[in-house]
Amino acid sequence: MNRILSPAAPVAGLLVLLLALSGCKSVDTVERINPEAIPDPVADERIVTDPTLRRHITVVEVNRATVSGDLTRVQVRLQNNLRRDRTVQYRFEWYDAEDMFVDSPTSVWRVRTLKGGETIALSDVAPNPRAVDFVLKLQRN
Amino acid sequence: MHHSLRLLRPVCAATAVALVSTLLISCGGRYIETAGTDTIVSVDQINIQDWSMAADEMVQSLLTSGMLERAPTQPATLAVSRIVNNTTEQVDADYLTRRIRVALNQSGKVMTTTTIGLGDVVEDPLARQLAREYEESGDEQVIRPRPYFTLSGKLLEDRARAGRTRQVTYTFQLALTEVDTGLAVWEDVKDITKQGRRPSVGW
Repeated sequence: MNRILSPAAPVAGLLVLLLALSGCKSVDTVERINPEAIPDPVADERIVTDPTLRRHITVVEVNRATVSGDLTRVQVRLQNNLRRDRTVQYRFEWYDAEDMFVDSPTSVWRVRTLKGGETIALSDVAPNPRAVDFVLKLQRN
Repeated sequence: MHHSLRLLRPVCAATAVALVSTLLISCGGRYIETAGTDTIVSVDQINIQDWSMAADEMVQSLLTSGMLERAPTQPATLAVSRIVNNTTEQVDADYLTRRIRVALNQSGKVMTTTTIGLGDVVEDPLARQLAREYEESGDEQVIRPRPYFTLSGKLLEDRARAGRTRQVTYTFQLALTEVDTGLAVWEDVKDITKQGRRPSVGW
């Protein structure tokens, strides 16, 4: 049986390919080979309830610092493993030395978009000196 | 046949009642987390989460700047100055400044005066009246620390439209001025941009 392809088929295929390629836009970066910064890394535990998000977004490293004398500041670097944009929602929660939740009047879910292959840093400052531990919550947008 | 139909009737009735109940429940109001992701995002107005995001970023910026430690006495004393609203909305800037004040107060780094205000408009007139009365009566125990810093700012908006897509950017500008020198020792600008085809969109 002879299959007759419509003349529009190659054009449609090309269009689909072009659309797919236009969606794959990743970020190139340039940085120092030997950075001057001396990070204070935090050993972290990751609880994954969304395997898709884990595949798409990697937690590269978690660092801590002290600001304003006695407030803990944390920074979490995330990498987008996809070649297209990925938007995530995130929120930091803080806990004191007795593992009790420390509320903050400005704590809110936030949104960040990572370009394809991009690495970004999310940071937060403890609401008070008693807050020493943190949890970063991430979810798909 | 008739027997089986008679048996089915209560089942159908129960199902109908359940469906109506579900519909009624889903149409009713519900509580949601104010800082959560179920809140309404409006393209044409500043939402509660916008104030929180702006306040959170401002507080983080201020705390990491190290400028609050310039005050000779800790915690630093602060008075809130004018926050100019240059948006098309009638908004109360206290949504922003109060969150910042509360967060700074809870951090233990700042205390805000409620008896000093721009144009002699104070937040707590009774406290000021009592303090004045005590001062006039010669009470030496009255201590009124003067603010070391003042907080001022401006709210701006920028609107754009392309076809049916609407976009609005709200700009929050804040400055911390050292009263003694008159210098803005800390300044920051935070933009929040929202885009959508309908007035209200979700996260």
